[in-house]
Amino acid sequence: MAAFFDVSFLTVQVLSALRQAAFLFLISSGLTLVFGVLNILNFAHGSLYMLGAYFIYALTLHLTGPAGFVIALLAAPLGVALVAVVIEMGLLRRIYIQEEIYQLLLTYALVLIIHDMAKIVFGPEFKSIPKPRAIGGAVTIFGGTVPVYTLVVVVLAPLVALLLWYLLYRTRTGKIVRATSSDREMADALGINMSALFTLVFAFGAMLAGFGGALAGPARTVFPSVGTEVIIECFVVVVIGGLGNLWGALVGSLLIGTLETVGIIVFPEFEMSFIYLLMVVVLILRPWGLFGRPLKVKALAEKNLGMEAQEISPVHFSVRPLVRMIPLVLLLIVPLFAGRYYQYLLTQILIASLMAVAFNLLLGTTGLLSFGQAAFYGAGAYTVGLLATKTGIGSLSSLLLAPLVAMVVAGIIGFFCIRLSGVHFAMLTLAFGQLVFAIIYKWYNFTGGDNGIQGIPVRPLPGGIDIGSNLSMYYFALAAVAVAVEILRRIRSSPFGATLKAIRENNQRAEYLGVNVKLYQWTAFVIAGAFTGLAGGLYALMEKSISPDIILWTKSAEPVLMTIIGGIYSFAGPAVGAVVFIVLNSYLVAWTENWALVLGLILLAMVLMLPGGAVGFVNEKARGAFGKMGWVRRWAFSKSGAS
Amino acid sequence: MALLTLDSVNTYYGRSHILFDVSLAVEKGEVVALLGRNGAGKSTTFRSIIGLTPPMSGEVRFKGEKVNGLRAFRICRRGIGFVPEDRRCFPDLTVRENLEVAVRREKNTVDPWTVERVYALFPRLQEREKNLGSQLSGGEQQMLTIARTLMTNPEMLLLDEPSEGLAPLVVALLADMILQIRKEGVTVLLAEQNLNFCAKVSDRGYVIDKGSVKYEGTMKNLLADDEVKEKYLAV
Ligand SMILES: Nc1ncnc2c1ncn2[C@@H]1O[C@H](COP(=O)(O)OP(=O)(O)OP(=O)(O)O)[C@@H](O)[C@H]1O
Ligand SMILES: [Mg+2]
Repeated sequence: MAAFFDVSFLTVQVLSALRQAAFLFLISSGLTLVFGVLNILNFAHGSLYMLGAYFIYALTLHLTGPAGFVIALLAAPLGVALVAVVIEMGLLRRIYIQEEIYQLLLTYALVLIIHDMAKIVFGPEFKSIPKPRAIGGAVTIFGGTVPVYTLVVVVLAPLVALLLWYLLYRTRTGKIVRATSSDREMADALGINMSALFTLVFAFGAMLAGFGGALAGPARTVFPSVGTEVIIECFVVVVIGGLGNLWGALVGSLLIGTLETVGIIVFPEFEMSFIYLLMVVVLILRPWGLFGRPLKVKALAEKNLGMEAQEISPVHFSVRPLVRMIPLVLLLIVPLFAGRYYQYLLTQILIASLMAVAFNLLLGTTGLLSFGQAAFYGAGAYTVGLLATKTGIGSLSSLLLAPLVAMVVAGIIGFFCIRLSGVHFAMLTLAFGQLVFAIIYKWYNFTGGDNGIQGIPVRPLPGGIDIGSNLSMYYFALAAVAVAVEILRRIRSSPFGATLKAIRENNQRAEYLGVNVKLYQWTAFVIAGAFTGLAGGLYALMEKSISPDIILWTKSAEPVLMTIIGGIYSFAGPAVGAVVFIVLNSYLVAWTENWALVLGLILLAMVLMLPGGAVGFVNEKARGAFGKMGWVRRWAFSKSGAS
Repeated sequence: MALLTLDSVNTYYGRSHILFDVSLAVEKGEVVALLGRNGAGKSTTFRSIIGLTPPMSGEVRFKGEKVNGLRAFRICRRGIGFVPEDRRCFPDLTVRENLEVAVRREKNTVDPWTVERVYALFPRLQEREKNLGSQLSGGEQQMLTIARTLMTNPEMLLLDEPSEGLAPLVVALLADMILQIRKEGVTVLLAEQNLNFCAKVSDRGYVIDKGSVKYEGTMKNLLADDEVKEKYLAV
């Protein structure tokens, strides 16, 4: 502790915290500004930061010397702004009228695409960017050695903050931006051209990210996944500060910058957990962030900028029970003729389907976008892994305990999350997921930390049935998944499920009708969590080894992607999406390095062209075709059950 | 030719049909009342005119030109100013900034509204110039939203329930201001539930109920028609 009072040490640490805060502020100020005006939480904002860093890298290859460096530092953000204009005008603009999840997913598709594009253009390796000699050295302040570049960053960031303040509070456009963030519709009715303003703000926000990247590039290094690393940190910053609030971003950056620096010194093992813990605590105390205020739930009409809202057609008929048995029969027979690899692949598909169908109880049925399902998946997987390795308990018993543990975890997390809605809900689930990840990742003694758990023993079922082989494991998983999916289907079509749908469509109206909306949402969250835990448990048994990677937020994105690919408004959609996802994944990974690019393009196409998902599309076509062939309809489908 | 005409306008929120063949006309220089109970469709009529909830069918004409189908900001620039219900001034902007964002520079109006002219009409706003929108009283917020819309130099104002929730004294003040605004040459369409308030300021009135127009005529006739008042207005 004595070291804390050492002036030189303190100076170095304070400056390093400020430098971290400076980078965070440059990036998150743009993120929050864009959210304030466009109401889009831009996942790709970190990718724009990454582009800024790559652009300065490419530019400084040709532009040398101090003048060249300054030019590159200014040109890189302009290049990023240009990319942003293309993104906004070419892609985002098409889906402003859709629900916010589609906008979120479009930006997520961009993350995948930009990541792989950067890898293709610049290569997967780390790039470092040379600094001009004048700012490349170090100075001694109060006995501590500080890089000159740190001082440059620490001076430039407040200047940018000042410039932002000036633009927002002293120029007419800035005032319009502030007005629009609080009431977009009113600004529209006062004669302000929203389309032009949206493009401008999106480009400006991107420019800030690009500047952050250009400034950070020479201090850190750049590689294709810096974008995804930095965006989560920035989400934490803006959510803590209050989405859409610039001062919130400033305070959030200072808090996180300080916390990260202090965390590394005081509790190096738990550094990561701190920022998520802070976010969780802040959101529990102030659900809308330190400076935020509750978002009005935007009616579709309000989002609609004078365009016709496109209705995503829900499915209007349900498949007869007999027809529903066909996939099950196929699933029973096919593996007998498939090789061991395919048996394994099919098991993967089963598990992924369960995760996706459970997830869609939240998204498609209740209207809650959870970005933290990996926490429950991980809870289930680690329950099985730990019980199997630390006790002699049978595989079936440990598998049955997995959903129970996941349920408890979901009960606690859900209690806090359901108080929020929309993007805030998504962010809080993401933070909790990352918190669970950080705990498991660092808790070596109990969870094995980043080594995970290897050699999970698979013990015979009661009655001595062995499930050690790929084929028997497949049938075991099939039985478990079939039962689970049937339960989920019944829940969805029960009165309880109907209430959930009513909540999705209009939670205010449901509230007026006397429904305890929060209780229903919480219950759905817990049910989805339990079944996700079951999927996780099955995964542990199938793989016989697990690592904390399965709890990372990118794992939480998987059921979201599967559901969107398959279609959120049909029960089978997520399962179909899971098949597509797993099959593509296993083939493309073998076939191309750029699996993320392909996935990103598919997602982009789905969001832009088939917002109802593949199943929604097929249903739409089928309704038309079967209308002409009444006998097929009568044979295959029972009477229309709305959505 | 009427300044504003609605011709068989049908408007929906999602799947619910709200306005049924609404037709009405406002002549230049008039103050016309649109009366109706809670949920009758007054605000929806306004939102259809200004383009925030575009009609599904029918036509809205302003100065003889069709405006439905245009985006809200374009309709505003054509000269229709919309003052919404529940006083939506920008809470984080000062009174002056609220006015400044609405200034339209490209328009070459002969005698444009300026912050000073608006302050002359609403002296109270000048006193509170530096306060944030969220710090104003209900009456002040109502004045600010009207003043802000005037800054766009509208030829016609759509005023949605301006008297709602205001103290009687403030309501009387508001009536004077509407008459003043009319004197400045602005045509007004006024949505109200308060019949007495309309009687003070308007010449003609329409009564709307369940999304369709049930009555139209001079205010004098309307005031005398007990049946209509009883049936469609909570009098
Ligand atoms: N965003 C919306 N979505 C769905 N229905 C709506 C929406 N806004 C209003 N409605 C419905 O449209 C009908 C007309 O509402 P509107 O707001 O136009 O009435 P109003 O005459 O302005 O009433 P008030 O005096 O309460 O302001 C009501 O039945 C209302 O429930
Ligand atoms: Mg109204």
